[in-house]
Amino acid sequence: MDLTLVGQGLLNGLLFGGVYSLTAVGLTLIFGVMRVVNFAHGDMMVWGMYLAWLLATRLGVDPYLGFVVCAAALFAFGLVTQRFLVNRIVDAPHEMQILLMLGVALILENAALVAFGPDPVRVRSALTASTIWLGPIFVDVARLVTFGVAIALTLALYLFLTRTDLGRSMRAAADNTYGALVIGTDVRRVYAVAFGIGAACVGAAGALVSPILPFQPSGGLAASVTSFNIVIIGGMGSLVGAFVGGLLVSLAESLGAVFLAPSLKELVSFSLLVIILLFRPAGLFGKGVS
Amino acid sequence: MRDHQIHRRRFLEAAGVAAGAATLGFPLPLRAQAPAIKIGVIHPVTGPLAEPGQACRLGAQMAADAVNGAGGIKALGGARIELLVGDTQTKPDVGRTEAERVINQGAQILMGSFDSGSTAAMVPVAQQRRVPFLVDIAAADPITANVAKAVKEGQQKLQFVYRNFPTGSSFGKKAVQYFGEVFKEAGVSPRRVVLMYCNDLFGQNNAKGFQAAHAAAKPSWEIVDVIPWPEPPQDLSTEVSRAKAAKPDIIAPITRPASAQLLFPELRKQRVDIMGIVGPGSPGLYEAGQLAVLKHDLEYVLASIPWANFKNPRTAKAAEEYQKRSGGKTFDTNSGYSYDGIMLLADVLERAKSVDPDAVVAALKATNYTGGLMQYGGPIVFNELGDNPNAITTMIQILGQKPVAVWPKEAALAKLVFPRPKA
Amino acid sequence: MKLLGAGAIAVLLVLPAFLGSYAITLFIFIFFYAFLGQAWNIVGGYAGQLSAGHAAFVGVGAYTAAMLSLHAGLTPWVGMFVGGALSACLGVVIGYLGFRFGLRGFYFVLLTVAFAEICRIVALNTEAVGGALGLYITFTGNPRQFQFQDNRVYYYVALALMLSATGIVAWIERHRFGVYLSAIREDEAASEALGVDTFKYKMLAMAISSFLSGIGGTFYAFYLFSLQPNAVFGIPLSVEIIIRPIVGGAGTLLGPILGSFILSPLGELSRAYFQAAGWSGAHLIVYGALLVGVVLFLPEGAYPFLARWLRRGRSGG
Repeated sequence: MDLTLVGQGLLNGLLFGGVYSLTAVGLTLIFGVMRVVNFAHGDMMVWGMYLAWLLATRLGVDPYLGFVVCAAALFAFGLVTQRFLVNRIVDAPHEMQILLMLGVALILENAALVAFGPDPVRVRSALTASTIWLGPIFVDVARLVTFGVAIALTLALYLFLTRTDLGRSMRAAADNTYGALVIGTDVRRVYAVAFGIGAACVGAAGALVSPILPFQPSGGLAASVTSFNIVIIGGMGSLVGAFVGGLLVSLAESLGAVFLAPSLKELVSFSLLVIILLFRPAGLFGKGVS
Repeated sequence: MRDHQIHRRRFLEAAGVAAGAATLGFPLPLRAQAPAIKIGVIHPVTGPLAEPGQACRLGAQMAADAVNGAGGIKALGGARIELLVGDTQTKPDVGRTEAERVINQGAQILMGSFDSGSTAAMVPVAQQRRVPFLVDIAAADPITANVAKAVKEGQQKLQFVYRNFPTGSSFGKKAVQYFGEVFKEAGVSPRRVVLMYCNDLFGQNNAKGFQAAHAAAKPSWEIVDVIPWPEPPQDLSTEVSRAKAAKPDIIAPITRPASAQLLFPELRKQRVDIMGIVGPGSPGLYEAGQLAVLKHDLEYVLASIPWANFKNPRTAKAAEEYQKRSGGKTFDTNSGYSYDGIMLLADVLERAKSVDPDAVVAALKATNYTGGLMQYGGPIVFNELGDNPNAITTMIQILGQKPVAVWPKEAALAKLVFPRPKA
Repeated sequence: MKLLGAGAIAVLLVLPAFLGSYAITLFIFIFFYAFLGQAWNIVGGYAGQLSAGHAAFVGVGAYTAAMLSLHAGLTPWVGMFVGGALSACLGVVIGYLGFRFGLRGFYFVLLTVAFAEICRIVALNTEAVGGALGLYITFTGNPRQFQFQDNRVYYYVALALMLSATGIVAWIERHRFGVYLSAIREDEAASEALGVDTFKYKMLAMAISSFLSGIGGTFYAFYLFSLQPNAVFGIPLSVEIIIRPIVGGAGTLLGPILGSFILSPLGELSRAYFQAAGWSGAHLIVYGALLVGVVLFLPEGAYPFLARWLRRGRSGG
């Protein structure tokens, strides 16, 4: 086996894992706090990507700066969606939650199609083509930066949840909704902010990933499925889990591409998912099956 | 003045009735003037194939406008062509339903539908309802071959399904042939070719055809590695690393626009040193949108694809109109073949002199049409399977950030550049 | 109520005489998706084990019957039961893994999705079943090959499928099996405590559900004449299967049928309407909004709402 290839595969997998992690962090937060499965997750990310594209093409803002705007826009979207839609179904049977978010996903995907057309697009950034060579192996700078931002974002979220009052209320509501209500937490507000922050993460992820991946309106579904995989493997509701899960899934796929046929690499991540579901459904860092 | 007003009121009434009737699906009563000939044009305009699907629909509409502008179908009293459009959503059940819907609204001929699954689902409708069906674009060989077989075995009386597009196997044969001819013309003999392809219907079909043709032709170059990826991919870095490890002289990619946007920068980033990129035939390598995103990564790329014949002066005009109406897109395989499909159907109607299904099918079988804008290897004819053996591909190259035909010599508008100059 | 049902069936039986082929096709898909929805309803509605991977069973049934027909010349009338049996095997495997390992709620959903995706990727990469190109069935119109020249025969076949599945669910509802399933759905732990063998009944529900879905797969293959992994194993098909019973009322007898009668025509109307306007995708926005609307205004599904409304009308008057 060509060692250089294996080494490059490992490095590629690790760095691309940052991308995966970034997209999964928002999902795990929403589920962790509200126990709602956001099937529109991937489509929200695609909107984050398109917003970044608009900023880059119309206003010349580099996505590595513009992601803040995308995060803010999706935060607002998340708040509104939660307040008027998700709030109504927090206690509803699971199938209704699924149906609601599927409907939202359909609307988002086709609104993007009507607004932006069907062609895949990509955002140009100053970093898109830079590489650093370490002997025969190369490091993709754009992915390195995204990896760094993924760490920073996860850290920031972690600090928010543990050090701020709002964050602590969120964790309280997640662990024991009734108890949180008893002590006077405005649970509805907590939920709204949680959904908003989750959406903001997704928006930021979309923007940061837009120079790396070509995207089109129909790309949301695959992104949702991948994110669910990562969150389950890492553990629902665990930030560290989402981060490590993203790296793991990406590494598994990359090594699958090296040793098997690359067209089977998704098989590797799905098989990993099945194994985790069977033997450790709480995920690697999760707290317990809900 | 009075007449004008009455006319306008009548028109609005008619439009209202038409809209209501169309919504409810009732067949319309015929109005005065030569009745329009309704052609059902069905493509995937939403979903993952929305981009080519929308291109096909626009190409067809342009052709219909051209035919109507030139006086309609003269053999039928100047009857206009009216397109009843449908969306398959890339789902076979929707494809079938749309075919039924447009036939219910009066479609006398069907055209579509790009995606082989939806097309196959529409075949029984054409056969059941006796509606001639021209497949403008679809890769899978069995679509027409199965109907021909059923007719031969007496299970069906007449073949209503015909295709004017290269089949999967012909893509491969032509590609292998062009590879050899291009190398010879350039005076080089590359040995190692790495085939990389998107693992969807089109990619797999083409890759199989390419490999089969290679095995049959036994040329001096080898396919040293075959690397498929799931489409659409999110990351091709490992695939490209694998390709690089195979030490290729040539990379032969079969892509879709999304994967091409990932593949080419990756090839450059990883500094894969090759003589050139020669595609056996796929989208993603030449469209205006792709050039805008990939810029110099696409320069000198060769691709063997169904292409328009730009030596025909009408083609340049059509391309210009298409660019205007589509917001800057290239008149290429998808829009081109749908355009030619409608032009072909107009010719068929002229010769059939009626919309009777038997007459139309007879006229289809007797087709010998040279008015197409695409590059063909002869006039459009249909063989015993219902396919057009003269539907071929052309080798194009991106030169000066524009795609231009470079091989075969009869179609070439520029001299081919191979191997590609060192960056 | 029973009179109403009999009347409705009578109407459906004579309808084809008055309808054109387009309308008949619409009804065929209403019946077919209602059938698949009803099959799902057994395990997803009554037993409360949500599955978003039922396309896997449809796909296995479809590919089995198609392969047997293409390569062994076996008539699909028999092939469909072989396909159904294989689907049931897959259902049992998934059920065993899920239930034995205690997966509930969203975790079970994701297990089913994972299996459907695995089937899809395997089929995509297996030359023997046609890979991405898939399988193509020649249209002969020969009834022995489960094909019919006349669309109306398909109508009656689809209607028969829908009524059979509904009949099976009605039987389940009326017998202890159905009571146990409801108990499991409401509170599995309590049912266990009361001595109900929850594992056995969940497995049974899964087996029946997947068997029926497999039979549906054969209908799919011989009505649409081609099978591609993405279409027949993909998530969009699973979504189409589950939205009808959920909209109509999961766990109710008429839910899937009502849901199908609501969603299919509305989807069709909006697509036909927006087609002319030229905004590709607008009809799906409407469809999505419809789904959202159902969740907001009919949170138990259409059937319970309708039933309550009818009851109120009757008792008021």
